Order: sequence, then structure tokens, then C-alpha cells
Amino acid sequence: MSITEAEAAQLAFERPSGLWRDAFERFVRNPAALVGVVLVLVFVLAAIFAPAVAPYEPREQVGVLARNPAGPGDGHIMGLDEQGRDQFSRIVFGLRLSLLVGVVSVLVGLSFGLVFGALAGYLGGRIDFALMRLMDLMLSIPGFLLAIGIVTLLGPGLFQIMFAVGLVQVPTFARLLRGSILGQKEGDYVLAARSVGVPGRRLLLVHILPNSIAPVIVQATLAMATAIIEVAALSFVGLGPQDPGLPELGKMLADNANRLQQSAHLVFFPGLAIVISTLGINLIGDGLREAIDPKLRT
Amino acid sequence: MALLSVRDLEVKFKTRRATVHAVRGISFDLDAGQTLGIVGESGCGKSVSSLAMLGILAKNGRVAGGEVLFDGQDLLKLSDARLRAIRGKDVAMIFQDPMTSLNPVLKIGRQLTEVLTKHMAMDKDAAEKEAAELLGRVGIPRAADRLGDYPHQFSGGMRQRVMIAMAIACHPKVLIADEPTTALDVTIQAQILDLLKRLVEEERMGLILITHDLGVVAGICERTNVMYAGRFVETAPTPELFSRPRHPYTLGLLKSVPRLDAVRKEKLDPIGGVPPELTYVVPGCSFAPRCAYATDKSREVTPELRAIDTEGHLVACWNPVPDADLPSTPGPPAQPDDRWAAR
Repeated sequence: MSITEAEAAQLAFERPSGLWRDAFERFVRNPAALVGVVLVLVFVLAAIFAPAVAPYEPREQVGVLARNPAGPGDGHIMGLDEQGRDQFSRIVFGLRLSLLVGVVSVLVGLSFGLVFGALAGYLGGRIDFALMRLMDLMLSIPGFLLAIGIVTLLGPGLFQIMFAVGLVQVPTFARLLRGSILGQKEGDYVLAARSVGVPGRRLLLVHILPNSIAPVIVQATLAMATAIIEVAALSFVGLGPQDPGLPELGKMLADNANRLQQSAHLVFFPGLAIVISTLGINLIGDGLREAIDPKLRT
Repeated sequence: MALLSVRDLEVKFKTRRATVHAVRGISFDLDAGQTLGIVGESGCGKSVSSLAMLGILAKNGRVAGGEVLFDGQDLLKLSDARLRAIRGKDVAMIFQDPMTSLNPVLKIGRQLTEVLTKHMAMDKDAAEKEAAELLGRVGIPRAADRLGDYPHQFSGGMRQRVMIAMAIACHPKVLIADEPTTALDVTIQAQILDLLKRLVEEERMGLILITHDLGVVAGICERTNVMYAGRFVETAPTPELFSRPRHPYTLGLLKSVPRLDAVRKEKLDPIGGVPPELTYVVPGCSFAPRCAYATDKSREVTPELRAIDTEGHLVACWNPVPDADLPSTPGPPAQPDDRWAAR
């Protein structure tokens, strides 16, 4: 038994290691991912603590009405808008909406996508065929058009566009999970689990799903950035929240697009806020992908 | 009455092109405490027949006939739920590749307790205590500490020990080991076989050992079935099989394995040709095209197993190997223990 003991000692030596811990270590060694973390941290903290961060209420009129309001200065670091409201406060609250939008629409997409993908991948056969053709159908329509269609059906509004953007992501998640499950379900460990009498549902939820979920997590992160941009785009074309006072970043862009030459700050800062928040999320997503890509795993 | 009794088991697979008749009617009995070997080359139906017994064939496979009597009931006719209750509890299985047979994202302890809580109705604490004890029994040092480890923190041999611990967790009456040592180093092979031998004695289990390694069978099995193209072609007590192989295929297998007591530079004598495709059931002996002893009768009429020589030696061949052609150095090929010693 001396060999086994030596091996045990060796393993004890290497103890601090685990599937997710390894991934974590690869993640923190990736500078781009860390930049992403910082950006997202700033974005998320500003969004959560918006009332404390913003000096004014987003709807509060603090300056004068002006056709071409003045830029940054005079205590307003991002200037005022045409209604005399503090632009910085509005953007902070806008980020709060963006975070909500990103999370909610990805949750919508995930909840349908995971169920469809898991059923199709695990059950196979006719159910797989039917679900995947439905997904193909959805993919055959350009995502943005499909979202517009859904909003038209549901009527304009913030929650409607979040739902629409989430639905558009369903096929991506479903196909990704299905493929991943197909790769796992023939695995030896699944057969081994069956041989000790693990029933079907438990087999899927406890054994197969946790092994298949990694690529979906990465995709969900990236999808959050896409969702923020798409929601901003939908409200830019006028399908977003109808409340004119609501500080939605896409809406702020749309309202001020024709003042780009006179009051560039009204377009520049909301745009920058979208870019920075989505850039941060994308960097994290790419970092995650590299960290938990099965091809890099030994 | 035998503990497990398989009668005329047949398995078919539907593929896109044709139906593959993978197992063509095999029968055997297994008693408590007995070790039964099934040997044969890849694709002869060894693993498939064991999967069929447990009802865990791949989706395109189905049992086409026969029965598997265990404890007075036919496993093939049980409902899914009833069969699940037997699988892992009364009949357990060990798989070939320990590197992939454990779930990589679940801790070892979790995978062990899963079996215990399901079949033995233990609560979590009791199951964890039992799991640690099981790991200790299969020879894993500091067992209690290692319950929290993931499979990738174990070596191949250690993982196979974990698989064995999982299999014997509920004190099964029958243990099916499908190539349990194939993926392991020779040193570890010997250890694992010793462990299996010990456990069979301690638990009075019936062990079915499936392998293509004649050395493994020689060391552990009381009785050995030689399988070719979905059928048993010869079955005999293991020492008898190695000293007096009567089926040309068995003889061919023995001659193609290196021996430690062989004269230096003596050439191995492989079996020419390849095994038949299992898509068609052709009349005659499946081995006939590769067989030096084949006659017209072999090519036309399929031989059944029939008694020959001593008690319990059956062979499915019209022209069994005559005494004159038996190997000059009878006896089993090198076993993992010897191979390690002779290194």
C-alpha cells in the first residue's frame, strides 16, 4: 500500500484545487477580465446605490429650461438637459434601469431556454425535433425584428421590451444547452449512475445538468450585455417606456439625437454609460469563457 | 437454485443501416460466492449482455428474447421503477474506465451517499459515516477526509476503488465487473483484482467478470465462458479451459497471448481474419471462416454447446481441438501479479 499512501500525500499537497477553483484562478490571472470586473462593479454599485450616488432626483428640475442646455460645469459634472435636470443623476438612475433590464431579460431567456434545451437534449426523439424546429423558426427571423414584432404584439413599455429581448435569446440558450447535454448524456458516469438505480429526473438534474451548464453561464453573461444594448435600441426607436420622465439610457439618446452638434454632452454621456457597462460585462464573459472552456481543462 | 440464472439472452441493436444481432442467446448460472469469467474480443457482446441484464442498454438496443432470473423474478420483465430498486442494491456494476465513470462535478462523498440514501434508506449523517467506512474498506487512506474531494483529485486506481465502493455499498448479491482493470496499470490491476477477490469472499457475492484479458480470468474466476460473435463457444472450469481448450477459438486466444514461460524469441500465433459483422445471422459456426478445423458441416449447421471431456466442460464446435494440437505448455497465461513480478 506504500504507493497509494505516497499518492495520498501527494494529493494532500495539491489540495487547494477544485473544478471551480481552477477556473477562478485562471479568471483572476486574466487582466482583461479584471478590468471587466472593475467596470461592472462600478456599474452595479452605482445602480444599486443610485439614490445615494446621484446628487439630485432624476426628475427634479434644478436648472432652467433651454433649447441647447449648457455642458458640464457649475456643479453638474455631466451638465443639464433641456428640461434643466441634472444629467449625471439621470444617468446613474438610467444605469439602474439597465441593470434591471439586463438581469430580467436574461432570466426570461434562460428560464425558457434551459427548459427547452434540457428537454430536447435529454429526451431526444420527437420532442427534440419539435422544439428544435421551433427554435430554428425563431432564429430565422432577425433578432431585433423579432423583438420589435413581439413588442408590437404586447404594446410598448419597459417590461414588454425586456420580455421581448429575453424571448429572442431563448433559441441561443436552448441550442447551447441541448448540444452540451447531448455531449454529456452518453458519458460513462451517466451509465454508472443509471447502473446504481438513479431515476431519470435526478439523472438529468443532479448528474447531467451541472456538467452541461458551463457554456450556458458564459453565454448568459454575454447575453446580458446584448440585452442592455437591444433594450436601449428598442427604446431608441420609440418602443420603450412611454413615461417621458423615465431616465432610460436609450430614450435619453433618442430624445437628444438632434442636439448632437449644439449639446453633445446630452448624447455623449448616456452613450458612454451604455458602452462602459456592456464592455465590462463582455470582458467578464470572455474571461469566464476562457476560464471554464472545457478544451482548456485537463 | 442458482442466484442468477440467464437463459437464451438475445440483444439486438437498431442502427441506421441494419439491425445488429449483438447477443445471440447466451445462458449461464451464477451461485453466491462464485466467480464467473466472460472473455472475448471487442464487440463480441460481452458488455452489451451485462447492460441488458440491468436494463440499461442504449436507446437503440433492446432485449429480443430470453430471461434473466434473479431472486425468482425475471429482471427483463420488471417495471422501470422495480428494476431501479434492484439496480445498485442487489445487482451492481463496475465499469471499465474509472476516469470517466464518476461524475466530475460531484464530490466523491456525494456520489457514494446518493446510493446509500436511495437504497438503504439512510439519513445523511449515517450515509456519510458509511461512505467513509466503505472507502476505507476498498483501501483508500484517510477515507473520511477524502469524501469532500472531487474525482479529478484521485488517480485511476483510486477512482476504480471508489467505483467498487459505490458498487458494494448496498451489499449486492451479484456484482458485474465490466473490464474493471483494463484502463489501469499492471501494478494497480493486481491490487484491484485482489480487492475484488477479497470482497467476493467477505460478502459472498456472485461476481461476473467481463474481460478480454485471459490472465485476469485465470487469476480470479472459477469458471470461464468464452464468447465469440454473440454466443458462448466454450465454457469450462478455468483450469480445465486453460489446460485443455477444446474450441479452436479458445486455443487461438491462448496462443496469441505472450507467456512468461515461453521460449525466447518464440513467435506469437495470432488468429487470422476478423470477427464477422453481427448484422446477419448466417448459418453455420461464426468462427468457421477463421478456423483451421472447419469442415463443410461447420459452415452449414450452427453448433450448440455440448458436454465434452470432464463434467462441466461444454464446447460449441463440431470438430473440437484434438489432444495432439493442445499447447505443449498448458496452463494460464501470465496474470497481472506475475507480470508485475517479472518486470
